Amino acid sequence: AQEKQAGKDEKDETMTISAEQMTGRPDREVHLERDVEVTRGPMTINADKATYNILDDEVDAEGNIRMRRFGDRYTGDELKLKMDTGKGYVTNPTYSLERNGAAGSADRINFLTQDRATVVDGTYSTCEGPDPDWYLKASTLDLDSGRDVGFARTAIVYFKGVPVLGTPAMSFPLSGARKSGFLPPTIGTTNKGGLEVTVPYYVNIAPNRDLTFFPKIYAQRGIQWGGEGRYMGETYVGQTKVEALFNDRQTKTNRYAISSTQTHNFAPGFSYVWNINAASDDEYPTDFSRTITASSQRLLPRDLALNYAAPSGYWSAVARATNYQVLQDPLAPIVRPYDRLPQLTVQATRFDVNGFDWNLTSELTRFWHPELLRGDRFVVSPKVAYPFIRPGYFLTPRLSLNATRYHLDNVPAGSETELSRVLPTLSLDGGLVFEREAPFFGRPMTQTLEPRLFYVYTPYRDQSAFPIFDTAEADLSFAQLFSENRFVGNDRISDANQLTAALTSRYIEADGAERVRIALGQRFYFTEQRVTLGAARNDTRSDVLLSAYGRLTAALSAEGNLQYSQTQHKMSRSNFGARWNPAPKSVLNLVYRRDLLNNLEQAEVSGQWPLSRRWYGVGRVNYSLPDRTVAEGLLGVEYKADCWVFRIVGQRIPTSAAAATSALFFQLELNGLTRLGSNPLDVLRTSIPGYQVVNQPSNP
Amino acid sequence: CGFQLRGSGDTALPFKSIYVGLPENSALGSELKRYIRADDHTQVVSDPKAAQVILDVLSESREKAILSLNTQGRIREYTLYYKLRFRVRDGQNKELIAPTDITLKRDISFNESAVMAKENEEALLYRDMQSDLVQQLLRRLHAIKSA
Repeated sequence: AQEKQAGKDEKDETMTISAEQMTGRPDREVHLERDVEVTRGPMTINADKATYNILDDEVDAEGNIRMRRFGDRYTGDELKLKMDTGKGYVTNPTYSLERNGAAGSADRINFLTQDRATVVDGTYSTCEGPDPDWYLKASTLDLDSGRDVGFARTAIVYFKGVPVLGTPAMSFPLSGARKSGFLPPTIGTTNKGGLEVTVPYYVNIAPNRDLTFFPKIYAQRGIQWGGEGRYMGETYVGQTKVEALFNDRQTKTNRYAISSTQTHNFAPGFSYVWNINAASDDEYPTDFSRTITASSQRLLPRDLALNYAAPSGYWSAVARATNYQVLQDPLAPIVRPYDRLPQLTVQATRFDVNGFDWNLTSELTRFWHPELLRGDRFVVSPKVAYPFIRPGYFLTPRLSLNATRYHLDNVPAGSETELSRVLPTLSLDGGLVFEREAPFFGRPMTQTLEPRLFYVYTPYRDQSAFPIFDTAEADLSFAQLFSENRFVGNDRISDANQLTAALTSRYIEADGAERVRIALGQRFYFTEQRVTLGAARNDTRSDVLLSAYGRLTAALSAEGNLQYSQTQHKMSRSNFGARWNPAPKSVLNLVYRRDLLNNLEQAEVSGQWPLSRRWYGVGRVNYSLPDRTVAEGLLGVEYKADCWVFRIVGQRIPTSAAAATSALFFQLELNGLTRLGSNPLDVLRTSIPGYQVVNQPSNP
Repeated sequence: CGFQLRGSGDTALPFKSIYVGLPENSALGSELKRYIRADDHTQVVSDPKAAQVILDVLSESREKAILSLNTQGRIREYTLYYKLRFRVRDGQNKELIAPTDITLKRDISFNESAVMAKENEEALLYRDMQSDLVQQLLRRLHAIKSA
């Protein structure tokens, strides 16, 4: 028998009832027996036996209950449900949710509304099958699919049948979306703080702001309280991280660090930027190497700047104050940099005024240092250029002037306190662009050939009496080959009578994307370089620079940069690297780099590679050739089951001249319980270029 | 060997007018506009509605990542990244270039004793990347089939 009934349905949804036997009182109630099915809208109930009370719009069912609400499924022994409000209960149920595949069983489920239910004395797991690898057992479990959140009270998490975590309350998302909740805890041990346990908690305040708390227990030190807030608005963006460990049991002191940045365009044209960093003591990076002050950060900047940019775009001004906290390593001390208190910069630029480009930069800085020479420096530098730009060539003659004045404070007796310098510079920059059609690995491409010459003349002026506040010789790079001054900073202006020659060739795809670039460049000196920061130099030519980059195939890219000294017949700097990325989550990087000036020569291998269907290996080894030791090393494996991921990672990082941190970390991530998409072992992402989280869809 | 000076063939940008979606005081924007103006056939307009094609800059970001540490745990090299995500559409909102990323990078050595000089050098390298980016953008614009 089958019957359709519009019934008392405000939503005007048709109710369909079918059963092998149907009896009842018209307009009061219907008794249904054997193969009962009641359907209305997104809800279907099957049972052995049921009664539909028409006045209350309520179904009472018993025996082999199967119910679907939207995509969610329930079974049970006995069910009572108000069809209009969705209120009711089911006893001895099992359930499975459509959105994240979560399932469980319980003593009873109370349906509160169409999209809210409370599971009483039940379990919850995102694993498939009757015997889940992990499950949560809770006294009550609120599932709110409207808000996409689950909330468990008196919960115990079982993994492989063993209780691993107990908590009075916890919340988790019902889908993969960013939701407040616990992140996968990390357990580890280091040679600096012994056992370490981190249980991060993520608070998703709004799409554009969030907070993460990460209390961390150091067995030998105490509890470190950490927090990070990120926020972004129409006119501002910022991020602040704080961590503190009160009364460190090893040092008997309070240990803390803070890092905060913010940029805010607070009025038309006006903005400020702050970047504040601080740590409690010099040993902080050694003792807490995996935290805010990365072990390598021994100069912590404090920078405050107020910017104004004129709406016309023609001029801008910056007032800035900076200083650095130096975290000294006694075996490798750092000379404290100067404070700039303050630095005022005004810059004006006009392009194309009857073909002329004008630029004026002026800067007034007070350099302060507790021990070294102090003083004020005032620089004015106007420039005028007349560029000719055509598709096939460009030529830019440029004339500039650098006028600098020093007023020094604490000079040794008999030395000048007022120093000044005015130097003109003339330069001529020109290049040609040739093209041809040339296939590359069988694909049609355009190859270019771009010769470029750059001549500079600056007269010599003795600057040996001038202080050095913020100046050094720049790395030799292509950008540097085409700049007028060999130094960066305003304390030295190089004398120049020199010509740079360079040749670049590119392969360009039909859509304009650059596929391969090869460049060769060198600077030729026609006179001795008399302005130097060290010994006098009489080179006739600079080192040769050769740089090549290419995406050879979709999976393989390679690059190499060489700086070769023809006078000393040796490689001053070089690096070669290749990346092979044949499939998602399979990446292999090989790098060799050498820098004579910094006494650095390293070979590095890093990668992520599937070892089998479920095992992934991750690793990075950075081997220092002169020291014959591993500078940085990381080795780990990840196991990806259907509903959980286990990671174990060992790591060694040098933290000072005399110390290195060795650490071993474990992590168990239960999909759907601890938020997906976060990898507290951030180190994997930063250490292994191209690393992808194993339990996330493959997408770079 | 078949090389010809660019401009000896038909090298005009394939559109008559463009709107560049970058603020007026953007250094990248001024450099790009300057090169587009060098093409006599194409105008840079200040109203997107009046433009035949529109360049939308979806994001422009600079990042600095540690490249190498020495055995004392000191940073000795950084990599600077300049990333631009853009797309190009015509006046009828039809996408001519789907959202595309261009990432440029430069390595820079580091030494604590020259931290302020390195700050100036970073600025130099970012300017260099900006010029490089302008050239790469121009080549993408040239490659638009028909606007």
